[in-house]
Amino acid sequence: MTMFHFFNCAILTFGPHAVYYSATPLSEYDTLGTSIKAALVYLGTALVKLVCLATFLQVSENDGFDPYQELLKALIGFIDVAGLYFALTQLTHRNISQNHKFQAVGLGWAFADSVLHRLAPLWVGARGLEFTWDYILQGLEANANLVLSISLAALGSLIWLRKNKPKTLIPIIYACAGIVATMPSITSYLRRGLGWHFPKVVGFELFTSLVMAFISWQLFSACQRPST
Amino acid sequence: MATSKKSSELLESMYSVIALLFILVACVELCDAAAAVDVYRLIQYDMSGSPFGSRFAALNHHAASSRFPPGADLSRTVLIIPLRELNITFVREYITQKKPLGGLLFLLPEVLSFKHGGNKQVPEKEKMKKLLAELERLLVHSNIPYPVYFAFENDEIDTVLADIKKNDAMGQPATATTGGYKLVIPTAEPKKVASPTITNIQGWLSGLKADGDANQLPTIAIVASYDTFGAAPALSVGSDSNGSGIVALLEIARLFSLLYSNPKTRGRYNLLFGLTSGGPYNYNGTQKWLRSFDQRLRESIDYAICLNSIGSWDNELWIHVSKPPENAYIKQIFEGFSNVAEELDLKVGLKHKKINISNPRVAWEHEQFSRLRVTAATLSELSVAPELFEGTGGLFDGRQYVNETAIIRGVKLIAESLARHIYGHQGKNVQLFADESSLAVNPAYIRSWLDLLSQTPRVAPFLSKNDPFVMALKKELADHADEVNVQHENLEGIFTFYDSTSARLNIHQVASVTFDLLLLLVLGSYLIVLFCFLVITTRGVDELISLFRRPPSRKVKTA
Repeated sequence: MTMFHFFNCAILTFGPHAVYYSATPLSEYDTLGTSIKAALVYLGTALVKLVCLATFLQVSENDGFDPYQELLKALIGFIDVAGLYFALTQLTHRNISQNHKFQAVGLGWAFADSVLHRLAPLWVGARGLEFTWDYILQGLEANANLVLSISLAALGSLIWLRKNKPKTLIPIIYACAGIVATMPSITSYLRRGLGWHFPKVVGFELFTSLVMAFISWQLFSACQRPST
Repeated sequence: MATSKKSSELLESMYSVIALLFILVACVELCDAAAAVDVYRLIQYDMSGSPFGSRFAALNHHAASSRFPPGADLSRTVLIIPLRELNITFVREYITQKKPLGGLLFLLPEVLSFKHGGNKQVPEKEKMKKLLAELERLLVHSNIPYPVYFAFENDEIDTVLADIKKNDAMGQPATATTGGYKLVIPTAEPKKVASPTITNIQGWLSGLKADGDANQLPTIAIVASYDTFGAAPALSVGSDSNGSGIVALLEIARLFSLLYSNPKTRGRYNLLFGLTSGGPYNYNGTQKWLRSFDQRLRESIDYAICLNSIGSWDNELWIHVSKPPENAYIKQIFEGFSNVAEELDLKVGLKHKKINISNPRVAWEHEQFSRLRVTAATLSELSVAPELFEGTGGLFDGRQYVNETAIIRGVKLIAESLARHIYGHQGKNVQLFADESSLAVNPAYIRSWLDLLSQTPRVAPFLSKNDPFVMALKKELADHADEVNVQHENLEGIFTFYDSTSARLNIHQVASVTFDLLLLLVLGSYLIVLFCFLVITTRGVDELISLFRRPPSRKVKTA
């Protein structure tokens, strides 16, 4: 029965990635290689972040919100953005359209993030007899993360790969990219500083991810119109 | 839509098959429980081959409260019964009619715990004492084929119990399909305690031998048994039975060692202090101790006073004897005690109980002396001889049920009576151990030893040879006596005990199988909806329809 629960939470956490890959044209254009490369870049980025965090961050005794530490964490979080830039621009992709490139990179990125951050707790925790809602909430968080990663990848590809953008939209693009990139700091502030409970935080993440996805979709299609 | 329904059903059944496969795979049980509680097991023993007590230790069942719906099958559930809701007839019915049950968990009020209860007052003392005594009597003398545990109430368990009661009231006892709470105690099968030892400690204070006197000085023995027996051996601290006796013996030893330290005040009697074990088992230890004596020593014993439960009396103590009251020695002892009692403003009564040699039951410690023709009496607050395993320090015999003042008065009584006999002051109104004198009874000493005893469970089979408590008793007696001897014996063969007296209970809140299936259904439909949504937004509705109509469209193409 507890393996059953683990199985449920696993398909909630990792199912959407597989569904996304198979449902969108990504599967037809065989962009699996791109996704795998993006996942490897994410691993490398995570290692670099880990080293920086270990070097620069102090472990605080209480679980409160320390602005200085959080600022440091946010700065280190920008390494994420650098990694995404690397994945989008430097990796040699086969001839796939930009539309699909950012989706593939975002998908690979989100999948690596889910596996790294959520698989181990799931395996250790969800198989126990005790029932908690935590793992289901974690799965929902993984879904929100997928949407956010794809939005970030879309905005990133707009910033770095598209040369001719309408001038008016550039500040909006940068602003949205900034918000999505600092999402981890925002959620940690909500959890520690304001003391929100986990379900509330996950709800907030889902909501903002949908909003940001919608905005980036609009921006992307707005930028696409001049070139077509 | 019909075809999409069929395919979703197909996907569903696939999911269920995979899920079933996973269920069959053995999974490791992890201990992240809703609550973890210390629990203490009912004693398990064999007497002359017949099994008694709870025969199992491991537990892995769902929990139910006493308000379970009537007619429910309880063979795989554990009943949690707090003491305040205990219905003894209900439990007796279950046990005597051997109704199938997964387990029993009794919740005792926290004030009775010697770890957390402290010295708080127990509400409705007498009622609780009676109830616990009855429960203990029922459990100790029955053969129960499922685990029985005791635990102390705390906030966590109370919330869990309230939750269980709510579920039961709705008519849903916890089973595998309806969720609820699961109680898990992962211990091994209880094993026999190999050759349980009983340890007797004796202390000897030599009297003053006059020069040129070859005869052995007479001896007076003061004996108390220090081990206990109760329904929960890990909780049997026996503050009154017989912690009060031990404390009184130690204090008397201390007072007389003060007197005997100076040759001018040393009496012409030897004093023999005996801390015996094996009390609940027909005073087996006392018997072995006496048998180990030299014949001359045994004959030199003038009389022996055995102490048994002198901690919670108000105004009356009893002297129990087995020789008829007309006997000269008995008369002398009784008069000595009565005179002192009058002065101390308390009453002493005499009770005579004949020994039946053919009956193996030994109710009082002095009977073991009498069987070897040594004059002896037991001083006790109990007026009736206790039954087997009764009055041996059970669940209710904690610190709250014992009264220091009673012990102090008892010590004064015994010490004065002994002193008058030793120094020949019978009938004279002399107070040797007056308050404020250097020989006053020390309340702090009594209190500290009583507190220690009230936190030490002392069931003999579970006390090893070099148990720290036994060593502490030996050391204390060595401080007061000239010579201390320790005798290790094996407990009588008709008793066999089993270990595993305490464990840790994990209470898990489990979700039912229906919940998991429901969740699977929801997730499956979510993924399918996500799939369709993505196909529609990225490739168009036609693609979605074409996915499910591929075979016909191919036929059209080739044709």
